[in-house]
Amino acid sequence: MKSMTTLLTEPREERCPAPANILVELAGVGKKYKLAKSDFWALRDINFSVEQGRILGILGRNGAGKTTLLNIIAGALAVTEGKVSLRGKVLALFNLCIGFQDELSGRENIFLNGMLLGASRKELESKLDEIIAFSELGDFIEMPLGTYSQGMRLRLGFSVVVNLDFDILVIDEVLAVGDALFQNKCFQRLTEFRRAGKTLIITNQGIDLIKRLSDTIVVVNHGRLVFLGNPEDAIARYQVLLNTEQFSVLPQDIVKSTKRSAGDISAWGQKLGTKEAVINNVEILNKWGFLCQEIETNSPLKVKVHFAVKDTIKESHFGVAIFREDGMYCYGPNTQFDNMHIPLLKPGSYYFIFDCEALLLAPGRYYISVAIWDKDETVAYDYHNGCYHLTVSGKICGNENALTNIPFKYNYSINPARLFNLFTGRNTFPSLDLSSVAWGQSYGLNNIEVKQVKFLDIKNKENNIFFTGEPVKIAVSFNRYPYRNKDLWLWIGIYRSDGVYCQGIIVPFFNKGGHIMYFPELALLPGGYAVSIGIWSSKTCNFLMYQHGLYPFAMEFNRQDHGTVFLKHTWIWNY
Amino acid sequence: MLREILNRRDLIGELVLRNIKVRYSRPVLGVFWAFLPPIFNVLIFYLVFSRILKVNIEEAPFMLYLMSAIFPWSFFQETVMASITCLTDSRNIVKEGGVPHYFIPVSIALANGVNFLFPLLLMLAMAVIMLKGLPIFAILLPLVLLIHIMLTIAVSIIVSVLYVKLRDIKYVFETLFLALFYISPIVYSASFIRQSFPETIYKLYVMNPLTGLFNLYRLSVIKGFVYFIKRDFGLISVLVVPLCFSLAMLIFAVHYYKRNRDEINDYLAY
Repeated sequence: MKSMTTLLTEPREERCPAPANILVELAGVGKKYKLAKSDFWALRDINFSVEQGRILGILGRNGAGKTTLLNIIAGALAVTEGKVSLRGKVLALFNLCIGFQDELSGRENIFLNGMLLGASRKELESKLDEIIAFSELGDFIEMPLGTYSQGMRLRLGFSVVVNLDFDILVIDEVLAVGDALFQNKCFQRLTEFRRAGKTLIITNQGIDLIKRLSDTIVVVNHGRLVFLGNPEDAIARYQVLLNTEQFSVLPQDIVKSTKRSAGDISAWGQKLGTKEAVINNVEILNKWGFLCQEIETNSPLKVKVHFAVKDTIKESHFGVAIFREDGMYCYGPNTQFDNMHIPLLKPGSYYFIFDCEALLLAPGRYYISVAIWDKDETVAYDYHNGCYHLTVSGKICGNENALTNIPFKYNYSINPARLFNLFTGRNTFPSLDLSSVAWGQSYGLNNIEVKQVKFLDIKNKENNIFFTGEPVKIAVSFNRYPYRNKDLWLWIGIYRSDGVYCQGIIVPFFNKGGHIMYFPELALLPGGYAVSIGIWSSKTCNFLMYQHGLYPFAMEFNRQDHGTVFLKHTWIWNY
Repeated sequence: MLREILNRRDLIGELVLRNIKVRYSRPVLGVFWAFLPPIFNVLIFYLVFSRILKVNIEEAPFMLYLMSAIFPWSFFQETVMASITCLTDSRNIVKEGGVPHYFIPVSIALANGVNFLFPLLLMLAMAVIMLKGLPIFAILLPLVLLIHIMLTIAVSIIVSVLYVKLRDIKYVFETLFLALFYISPIVYSASFIRQSFPETIYKLYVMNPLTGLFNLYRLSVIKGFVYFIKRDFGLISVLVVPLCFSLAMLIFAVHYYKRNRDEINDYLAY
């Protein structure tokens, strides 16, 4: 009951207040390269804006799309989709020393280089003394550039750039070159720009520089914007990216499916292992930290495992797995997937805790396995397979027999108590599991015609591949519908592509506008899914129409946790 | 585009200047290299055609006749051949500096145009010496030069964009220029064609805009050439064909560039 109240509030519109002075704005920007064999999206769905006087950092691994993004902001590349709006004079710096000619003198090169960067002869003439002074080249300025050292060239190139007039400066990794003194000078100059109210967009592999300079950082991965926010969080996110992914520029290392059911539920209750470490006791703790057998859905869960080490074990990993009583794999993380490093364990008594923020499982009976593995997860020191029992309690209308209970919001505020009473009062609301119905089948479409079912991402753009934990809206609209009837309900079921019923949602059916189910964090693990929808009449106790599995979508993730639903968690252990 | 050119004319000037400076600042003979290759070129053709093959033309002294076509031809050919690869050659300027693409072929054409002034002066001097004066049509020379530069710029822009997408263009044009050289009245007189081929082929031959262009140069440099123009080509077509063709090419070049502008940098990446 309590959880229903908090869930069924109106979703907030995620819209930024319009700031006074946005100089750079990207909306839905995508860039496709046509390669010989196939098209390649170097960037997709990039949205952000930069206000005047702000410094934006762009972080991303090699090949993530940083340079393409900078090129697009600088106007050097045209976008394939979306829109870039720039207000002000853009100066792009992908390379110092553009157009430098060895045959010409330093002075002549100042003019050539400056004009290539968009300055006029007049502007350069008025700033010539300043540029020459800044470059500290002295009499060398009259010598042909061919006689310059690499450092002198850089100094000359940099002097030209920093003395030019601009509103927006876009800098690729050029400042990573040169000696420490040069870099210091660059840094000083950039902070001067910042004080002068210039807008800067920078990228650099050096995290320190970008952290010190930027107001905001965007993290780009596989051509998508994965984070936008303050530097500390962005760098944390970036480092997670660095840690969790193997080195590969291809998008293949995104996990697209997971292990989804237990191999053999008859093996439950077995305890296996080589017994270098022995699990003594497993405690299931509720949010108060009390031992329990029953946990309310959507509340915290801790699994505390006490174990004893007999022989010294070098690198070990802890694992926990949660199954539904019929063997459906709910969630199976381990410390290896989470890139944890457990140090050498000497003989003694230890414990580890799997601490889960919110148990997003539908009410029902579940079994828990716990294990201690060796470093490659090939040999189990001790493995208690399905030995521990857990009941998830709660009552959620329309979610009977489901697997998950992922929080969502609905666009019309409804009184959950009334909703609840309506169903329990009649006590006829059946299991809405359509598993027995053929996949892709529709029924009763004469009464009501579904116009469309759309999946929208955080920017309200249509998509059907999402990252685990991404905000997702499911928008359902109808072409033909019966008049408002208090006894009509819209039911939405999320199914795994193997037909397993994950979650059901029932909301009052309105004939105006669309119905939007908003998941702030759609925590489904990688794999294919599909949505079924139906209109339920609580008067006649049947579906006026349903469409089973007609609307597919897919989830991706950068980790390989087993199961169906991602439960945010941390690991704690003593040593 | 016109506003872009006006706004950044400083840059075009600088690019032209760079082109010229780079060419002549290091060689010992410096600016003399603007004269020497075309002169040698003319001498070789003179030797082969006049002395060895004994080609006789009635229009003008053979040396002058050669010069009046080979100099403009070299300007045209060199510019177009240099423009073909210019965008890939200076991709850092175009991509990283954000310079409009067509500035590069235009600056090459203008730099070569400045270079062309030296042989042009030489040609005029030779005409004055050999024929004791210039024809009245010498006042057309600025217009002829304009048509010539327009045509060169137009073709240069087109091939530079084309090459970015289709790298075969370079070899196609190498072959094409070889053919063009011999189907234009450069080393022989147009009346030879009239004598050896049927009238329809000759009519097509006259429509070649390069034929018209060389005729314009000859008209405005060689005293008495107007008689042969009237006899072999017709005064109107000599002026109209190259002018219309150059304008049409320029319009097409602008259109073609605009249509492909956004894609060029994509192709320049590799």
